Amino acid sequence: MGKLGVIAAIAFLVAVLSYFLIPLLWMIFAAFDPNAGPELKIPTNPSLVNFEKLAEPIGAAVPYTWILNSLIIASASATLATVLALLAAYVMTRHSFRGQEALTTMFVSFRLIPVIVIALPIMVLYKGWGLNNTLQGVILAHTALILPFAILILDGYLRGIPTTYEEAAMIDGCSKLGAFLRITLPLALPGLVTVWLISFVFSWGEYVIPRLIIATETLTPAAVGLDYFKGLHGQIDYGRIAAFSILYTLPVVAIFMYIKKYLQRGVAGLVSR
Amino acid sequence: MRARVLDKILSFFEGPWARLLMFPALAFMGIFILFPLVWSVYLSFTNYRLTGPEAVNYTFVGLKNYLKLFKDSEFLDAIRNSFVFTFLSALVGQTVLGLGLALVARMKEPEGVLGKVLKILKIVTITVVFISWVIPEVVAGYAWISLTETGGFFSTLFMGPAKSFKFEHPMETIIIANIWRGTAFSMILFIAALESIPSYIYEAAEIDGATPWQRFRYVILPLLSGAILVDLILITIWTFGLFTLVYIILGVPFRTMHWTIYVYYKGIDRYNVSLASAASNIMFLIVLALIVSYLVLMRKLRRWG
Repeated sequence: MGKLGVIAAIAFLVAVLSYFLIPLLWMIFAAFDPNAGPELKIPTNPSLVNFEKLAEPIGAAVPYTWILNSLIIASASATLATVLALLAAYVMTRHSFRGQEALTTMFVSFRLIPVIVIALPIMVLYKGWGLNNTLQGVILAHTALILPFAILILDGYLRGIPTTYEEAAMIDGCSKLGAFLRITLPLALPGLVTVWLISFVFSWGEYVIPRLIIATETLTPAAVGLDYFKGLHGQIDYGRIAAFSILYTLPVVAIFMYIKKYLQRGVAGLVSR
Repeated sequence: MRARVLDKILSFFEGPWARLLMFPALAFMGIFILFPLVWSVYLSFTNYRLTGPEAVNYTFVGLKNYLKLFKDSEFLDAIRNSFVFTFLSALVGQTVLGLGLALVARMKEPEGVLGKVLKILKIVTITVVFISWVIPEVVAGYAWISLTETGGFFSTLFMGPAKSFKFEHPMETIIIANIWRGTAFSMILFIAALESIPSYIYEAAEIDGATPWQRFRYVILPLLSGAILVDLILITIWTFGLFTLVYIILGVPFRTMHWTIYVYYKGIDRYNVSLASAASNIMFLIVLALIVSYLVLMRKLRRWG
């Protein structure tokens, strides 16, 4: 590759980088700008006013409580999904039964269904089930939406752990499940942590289900809470939206930087699996 | 002693009873995914509404909702625009840009300052592209609202200070925003696919005197065809079913721009859930066809590999 090629590559990267950086820059600038607006400008007198104003109530709720609601919903769904997925993945990898292939196919399909298609009937059903406007309702739906993906990841992970140790333990008198729990589970811990984190991130960012189910400001998660910064006539409180966005985004970015390596392998698996 | 008791209990889940452990997960998916899908089909054949008398006493109306939809010019516009949006933002935008980034990412850096600049730029760009993919969709939506609102960066750049880019060009706005949001997936997928190609293949082509274009066209592209097809189908499914990003940026006034906004508008804003279900079911059939083609493709790829 000649010098011209390198310069072309640098020009391409600079163009792409500015396209991708501008929205993020706006968010960071506006968050620390007491006079933030839609325009992209470096704050002349940067301050934390926008973050302090997040402690002032909007309607019946303080914006910070939305983060708390998201924390409850996301950790509950992630934990529930990880435990149930582990049980299912144990059966799929350590036992063979008829219809296993069909089940995997079903999980792959479930993962690809647009959420709005499921959210609409769920909203109607929840009216009858008494789950409308409850955190439990969101948690249950999120758990179900995460499960297909969680099972597929764990299935792949558990297949990578050889069964010889388990067999040795079984010769020494362990039950099959006992051997799995005592020997393979500790080895699978990194996989479980990854699944939990990915599930957490999904639920943390998911918008459609709480949008259709939750109607009370105090029960709103952060994803839907952002909508409350829009006034009745469409005017937007840009400073507070940017400040809240940063608080809401930071945990997700931290998690992804932690599991980045795994993720690249996972995406690669989409082609070769 | 306690361990032995535990093992006795656990040994119950051996043989045929092991399948019992799958039950909770399957029950969850049955109740909260499969049943709602069936319920949506059922609702679409009734006159159910969120409020009013039809919320309690709704009756079977046959194909009435479906017939109504095909006479609704807004719905037909929404379908057409969904295809335009998907084609331009997923197929053209994300795939081409993702492939370009992946190819640049695996370029060798030469010695000297230029090589160092290239290396740093590569790392920074890939990281920023990655971040734009992992931040919550709602946050991405609001960032793009600000840029395309009157006075926002993009509006000022393309329309002058007094006009809103988002309002004048809603389709272009969601296309640009969605390419921004989704390119990382294609990039990561292509980087992984390029890494799986053994390097001696490139070297052989280089030694034989192939130009960079020839190497791309006759060596890399054929080897990537499987990955490209997988990428195309997956991002088509995601883009075609996208709700959050387009709804946050455009909202119900632009319901003809994407079918998911139309469904939300009819079901939530107009309370006509049965009609919205019908619309959602029609579009889901298209998504289902894409899902099936993905499954068939994966099966084929596995057989080749």
